[in-house]
Amino acid sequence: MLSALRAFLAAVLADRAAALLLVGAPLLYALFYPSAYSGEVVRKAPVVVVDEDGSAISRRLVAALAAEPRVHLVASLASPAEAQLWLAEDRAVAAVLVPADFSRRIARGETGTVALVGHGAHLLQGSAALAGAGAALAETGREAALAQARAAGPPAPPALALVTRPLFNVREGYGAAVFPGVAFVIVHQTLLLGLALVAGTARERLGRPLRLPLRQLAGLALGGLVLGMVQTVWFVGFVFWLHDYPRAAAPLAEVLAGAALFVAATVAAALAAASLVTAREQPLQLGLALSLPLFFLAGISWPAEATPLPLQAFARLFPTTSGLELMVGLNQMGGRLADHLPAVLNLLLLALGYGLLAAARLAAPAPAPAPGAAAGRRR
Amino acid sequence: MSGAVPAAPRPAAPFPAAAAGARAGFRASLRREIAFLGRSPVDLALLAVLPLLLCALLSWQLAGGVVRGLPVAVVAADGSAIGRGLMAAIEAAPGLRLAAKPADMAEAERLLRAGAVRAAVLVPADAPARIHAGAAPVLLLVNASVPAAAATAEREMAAIVAHANAVLARERLAAVAPPGAVRPPPVAALATFAWNAPASQEFQLLSLLHPAILHLLFMLAAVSALGRELRDGTARSWAPAGPAALAGKLLPHLLVFLGWSALAILWLAGVRGWRVEGSLPLLLLGSLAMYLAYAGVALLLVGATRTLSQSLSLTGLYAGASFAFAGAIFPQQQANAFGRVWSDLLPFTHFARLVARTWVADAPLALAAQPLLPMLAIALAAGIPGALLYLRAARAPSAWGRR
Repeated sequence: MLSALRAFLAAVLADRAAALLLVGAPLLYALFYPSAYSGEVVRKAPVVVVDEDGSAISRRLVAALAAEPRVHLVASLASPAEAQLWLAEDRAVAAVLVPADFSRRIARGETGTVALVGHGAHLLQGSAALAGAGAALAETGREAALAQARAAGPPAPPALALVTRPLFNVREGYGAAVFPGVAFVIVHQTLLLGLALVAGTARERLGRPLRLPLRQLAGLALGGLVLGMVQTVWFVGFVFWLHDYPRAAAPLAEVLAGAALFVAATVAAALAAASLVTAREQPLQLGLALSLPLFFLAGISWPAEATPLPLQAFARLFPTTSGLELMVGLNQMGGRLADHLPAVLNLLLLALGYGLLAAARLAAPAPAPAPGAAAGRRR
Repeated sequence: MSGAVPAAPRPAAPFPAAAAGARAGFRASLRREIAFLGRSPVDLALLAVLPLLLCALLSWQLAGGVVRGLPVAVVAADGSAIGRGLMAAIEAAPGLRLAAKPADMAEAERLLRAGAVRAAVLVPADAPARIHAGAAPVLLLVNASVPAAAATAEREMAAIVAHANAVLARERLAAVAPPGAVRPPPVAALATFAWNAPASQEFQLLSLLHPAILHLLFMLAAVSALGRELRDGTARSWAPAGPAALAGKLLPHLLVFLGWSALAILWLAGVRGWRVEGSLPLLLLGSLAMYLAYAGVALLLVGATRTLSQSLSLTGLYAGASFAFAGAIFPQQQANAFGRVWSDLLPFTHFARLVARTWVADAPLALAAQPLLPMLAIALAAGIPGALLYLRAARAPSAWGRR
C-alpha cells in the first residue's frame, strides 16, 4: 500500500496537469483569492447628499456624514432626481435626501425624517453606506434632542436598548466570512478533479474500465488523503494566519480530526466519480463549474434556513456542505466535534457510501495481472 | 457552396478567391463542429445539460430572495412581560422563528455553535427594574460567520426593540413621566433600496451568478472545442485556413450560450419580475461581448499551451473566481492593487457593471454601454494573438497529441 502511495505521488508530480491541480492550484488560489477581499469591511462607499432644508441642523448632518468612515461624500446635489441619476450611472451606491421641512419638524417637537436610498445592485455597499448615514443621523439626533429639550424639557429615554455583539467572526470581515469556506471548496475541487484526472488517464492507457487490486486502490485513496491534509494544514496553518482570519478556535486535534473526516469523504466521492471518467480531460470539462454552486449550497453566503428543504437534503450528498459547516464551525466557533454531530455523521456516511461505491467499481475482484503503477503515469 | 473538407493541411488559397475560401472554411468548420457535438455526449452535456442544471439549481435555492424563519434562542432571565413580549414579537416577525428557550447563555452559545440557532437574545434579570430609568440593555448575539443570517437577525431585532419601546413608552412611561417628556424621536430615517425595494438577494445574486456560471462553462466548451483538435491530431483533417474557420467552429457554442443567457434573463425579468429597467438589447449585446472576450482568451490559452488539459486548468484559474473579483458584491475599489488589476482583466467584471447600469438601473445609454469597450478590447487583445498562435499550432503536427 505504501509503495502504491509512493507511486501515486510520483505520478502526480510527473503529470503537469495533475500537479497543477493538486499542488499548484492550492498555492495560487491561497495567494490570489483573498486579494479580492483585502479590504475586509466596506469603507468610503460613494454617497451623494441632497439637502433641501439648508438649515443649521441639516448642515451639521452633512458634516457628520462627511466624517463617517463608511461614507465617502462624492457630491452635494440639488434634487432627488439628480441623485437618482447618480445612482443609475453607478457613480454612488447610496443617496441621503434631507427634505425641506426637516428642521421645521424638529423645531415643532415632531420627527424630522431623512430618506436613505441604497443602490439595488450593491446591497452590501449600500447597506454599509446606509448604516454609516444612520450613525451620522443619530449623532445629529442627539443635538436635535438637546435643542428640543430647551423648549419642551428633557425627553424620556427609550425603555430598552439593543446591544448587538457579533460572535465568532468578531470583526465581521467579508473575506473572513467567505474565504475560510472557499478554502475547503478548493480542497474538494482539487481532489475531485485531480484524482479523476489521474484515473481517467490510467483508464485511457488501459483502453478498458480501470480495475485495481484493493491494495493499490487503498494506496490511491491514501495519496488523496495525504494531499488533502497537506492542503488543509497549508490553509488553516498558514493562509488563514497570513490574512488573520479566525482559525483553529477548537482544540487542534479536533480541527485535524474534522479535516480528516472531510478529506476522507471527499476522496471517496472523488474516487467514485473517477470510476465514471473515460478520458483524461473529462473531469476538468465537467467539474470545474461546480465550485460556485457547491459553495452556495454549503450555506455560508446563503443560510440553509432560506434554502428550500428538498435542496437542503440534496446538498447533503456533497461532502462540501457538511464539510464547510464542520470546518468553519471548528475554525471559527470553537467547540468540539460533538457540537457538530449531524455534520460529522453526514461525512461518515458519505465516506462510507462513496467509498463502497468506489471499491465496487474500481477494485479488481481477484489479483488479476496488475496494471502496474498505471494510475497516473504520464503519457 | 462546397462542403468538402480540404484534404491538404495547408490550403494556399489564391488571393481573389480568399473571400469565397473563407466562407467555405466557415461553413465547413461549422458543420464539422455540429456533427462532432452530435457524436460526443460529454461535449454536448457541457453545452446543453450543465448550464441548465447549475443555473436552475441556484435559481431554486435563491427563489426566496430574503431570509425567513431564522431560528433564534431567547434567554428570558427576567421572567417578566418584557421577555414574553419579545418572544411573541420574534414569533410574529417574518424573518425570525423562536427555536429555543435555553435557561442560560452558556446553553444559548452551545446552540449557536451547533448551528441550531443563528442568534441569541438575552433579557437580563434586572430588565424590569431598569426600564423606568431607561435604556435597559437587551443583548443580541449573532453568528457573524454566516453574514446574511446575522444581518437579518440584527435588522429584525432592531425593528422589534424599536416597536417594543414605542409600546412601553405608551403603556408604562406615559403614566409616570411628566407630560411632553414622551415624544417621538427628533430624527428618523426611512431606508429603501432603489430598483430593489425588498433588498432581494435573489435579484442581486442571480443576475450575476447566472452569467458567472455561463461564462465559465462557455470558456470550458470553447477550450475543449479548440484543444481537442490538437490533442487528437484531427487538426490535420480540419485544416483551419484562417479566422473564418475558427469563427465557424466557435459559433455553435456562442449561439447556444447566448440562448442560455437570454433564458436566464427571461427567468429573472419575465417570470420572477425583476424587470430590465434599461435596455434589453444592450444587455444581450453585453452578453455577446462577454462571450467574445472569453472566446478570445480561450484561443490564447490553447494557442499558447497547445495542451487541452493545461488550457482547461488555466481556464479554471482565470474564469473560476470571477464572481469574487467582479466587485459586484464586495467593492473592487477596496481590493489591493493585484486584486484591482486582475478584476479589470476579467470580462465578467465589466459585464457586472453593465448589469448594474442597464438591468438594475436605467443609466443613460452612452454610459450604460461603456463596459462594452473593455470587453471588446479583451476579445481583440487576446483573440488576435490567440488566433495566430492557434492557427500555427493547427498546422504543426509536432504540436499535436500533447496531453
